[in-house]
Amino acid sequence: MIREVAWRLFASEYNDANLETEGTGERPPSYIVTPLGAKVNRVFVVGVITDVENVGTDGQPMWRARVSDPTGTFHVYAGQYQPEAASALSKLKPPVFGAIVGKSRIYSPQPGTTYTSIRPEVIKSVDESVRDYWILEACRSLQKRLDAMAEAQKMDPPTKEGLVKVGVKESIADGIVQAVNHYGKVDLSRYMAMLAEGLRYLLPEYREPIAPGEPTVDAPRPTKAEPSREADESEGKVLEIIAALDADGKGAPWEGILETATTRGVSKDSLEESINALLDKGLIYEPILGRMKKI
Amino acid sequence: MKEELAPHVHDITRALGNKVSEQEIERELSSYLNVYRVSLDTAKRSIVKKHGGNPATLTTGISKTLRELMPGEQSVNLLARIVSVNERDVTVEGGSKRILYGILGDPTTTIPFTAWEPLPVPLAKGDVVRVQNAYTKEYRGQVQVNFGIRTAVAKESPTALPEFKPGAGQPYVGKPTAVRVADLREGASNVAVTARILSVERREVEVDGAAKAVFSGVLADETGKTQFSAWKDFSLKPDEVVRVEGAYVKTWRGIPQVSFDERATITRLKPDLLPPSERLNVSPRMWIEDLAERGGAADVTVRGILIDLREGSGLVYRCPECRRVLRKGACRLHGEVKGEPDLRVKAVLDDGSGALTAVFDRELTEGLLDKSLEACIAAAKEAMSTDVVRDELADILVAQPIEARGNVTSDDYGLMMIVESAKLLKVDVQAEAREMLEGLEGSA
Repeated sequence: MIREVAWRLFASEYNDANLETEGTGERPPSYIVTPLGAKVNRVFVVGVITDVENVGTDGQPMWRARVSDPTGTFHVYAGQYQPEAASALSKLKPPVFGAIVGKSRIYSPQPGTTYTSIRPEVIKSVDESVRDYWILEACRSLQKRLDAMAEAQKMDPPTKEGLVKVGVKESIADGIVQAVNHYGKVDLSRYMAMLAEGLRYLLPEYREPIAPGEPTVDAPRPTKAEPSREADESEGKVLEIIAALDADGKGAPWEGILETATTRGVSKDSLEESINALLDKGLIYEPILGRMKKI
Repeated sequence: MKEELAPHVHDITRALGNKVSEQEIERELSSYLNVYRVSLDTAKRSIVKKHGGNPATLTTGISKTLRELMPGEQSVNLLARIVSVNERDVTVEGGSKRILYGILGDPTTTIPFTAWEPLPVPLAKGDVVRVQNAYTKEYRGQVQVNFGIRTAVAKESPTALPEFKPGAGQPYVGKPTAVRVADLREGASNVAVTARILSVERREVEVDGAAKAVFSGVLADETGKTQFSAWKDFSLKPDEVVRVEGAYVKTWRGIPQVSFDERATITRLKPDLLPPSERLNVSPRMWIEDLAERGGAADVTVRGILIDLREGSGLVYRCPECRRVLRKGACRLHGEVKGEPDLRVKAVLDDGSGALTAVFDRELTEGLLDKSLEACIAAAKEAMSTDVVRDELADILVAQPIEARGNVTSDDYGLMMIVESAKLLKVDVQAEAREMLEGLEGSA
């Protein structure tokens, strides 16, 4: 069996994916197809590992790491079946630049909700230059898919043969056609912006000036930072409440969360906001309607 | 017709435990073949299934010539000559296993084969074998014959098939197709290549017991270079530009190369038709997906990331007899031996388009570690484990961008590069990002 290639792609594109497909053969590999047509079985990611946490038990640890790139966050889970990666993760001291090779994973707790994650094969701390090179590679890879998708959007309907004819590699063409069939016409401008954002991230001339000892430069910031700190605080509280109320393992009931949150000074509005944020971040999910559970 | 089918009717009846009469089976088989026009193989399997039997218990295969074989045959009988045969150890479901692979030939064509189970008779080049119940698969667009657990292989008299002569096939019909070097693919025949000879040397080889001269070397055009073998003395000289018409492409040791013989014509062309040798002799940079499509290539350069070290990297001990790497102090062939220390790296090199296994020898590994074999042995002794060397290599290499040059071979398990030279890649990320961004803003 030919080894699956390790895709370099940004978290934001990866997390936009909600299509899972299977290959052929005796043990068919599974793929996650992104809106731009990357057909991902294996990924290679380099980013900042911002936190590592044991979300399992002491006896059966499940390490979760968050890895951020210029566009978003990858979620990496390593448990007993990834002993080397789990041990490597448990020893890391975030924040640290980390390289991860792993298999793509998609999890759908209910129809319409999907979470992508990575099951790591290799984890290693690296230096900034490796991370910067990865961003460049991820940009190049994204550019290729953007070009191919732009071609595909000119065709009605796009076919593998048609794409190959205009110079798109067969391996990419297949994913593109599947993506178009599933996601419809994707707004490319969003991904163009993502590409530009990735490239600018590498260039000092676009970096926001950091001038220590000149607080005036930072002056407008606190107003921005404060609500987010407040939000973080209430997210933390809500997460605690959900964990505490989940006595039977089936998730915390909504009424209970609301009641406890109110007594702890979290308004209904900010509770809803926090829950949405936590869902987005993949920290909680809704196992059944009306119940929230910590991942 | 009826007589030909009799063994198959019998085969089906037997597979069904004689539950159904031969007359009944004969009628059904004839209906499948003549009314529904399905293949004999499909017909037999369908009938057995229909009556609740297991098609895997059918034993009488269908005789075919190699040229008639299609991918996906379940049970086929062949009479063929072993054109070449080799052994290899593969890992199957965690265990190690010895398999045979090589090429089968009959008067119609040649086809690769693999024997997945030990055979009752040893196979040697030139043997004529009768094969029953082989199956076929498609690999990279080519039919491959497999000998599995149900396959029976028996030797026949060498005169049962006409002698196989490599290269001396049927004369070509029609005009040769012009192909650029980068587009040469295994199995192509009657092609025309315009190229500069970069090197050529005369070698003596043994073909079917007789000494033969072969003129081999490297030729190139603007698109790439390739090894070649001329089975006739065309007085080829380095640096000259020639047009070879009537060449064919064969894989030798996992790398496709151009071959030509007395059927080919050579035309000498003006030397300035192609760039000079020093320009053509560079190692072209290639994407791994293109190498996979081509099925390997000689002297190419790949840029990628070493994303993992494979087992058997670092300090290893080899059998003094056969150079195999020892496992737990023992050689698979020669048992417990005193191993000779060696250093090597087997790493996964992935460039985002594909992956290959890159093999670094002792000298390269010492360079990467900046440490001699002796120093590694000392370090392993102190740590009481060879893992320290592997860990140090992983520390240096994993996740690093690298540029590696070497020959890339191809087999069922993918691509492998025997690395000739390698360096850690230093890229001016900012300059490249700036250029890309300008391109992006220019087009917007």
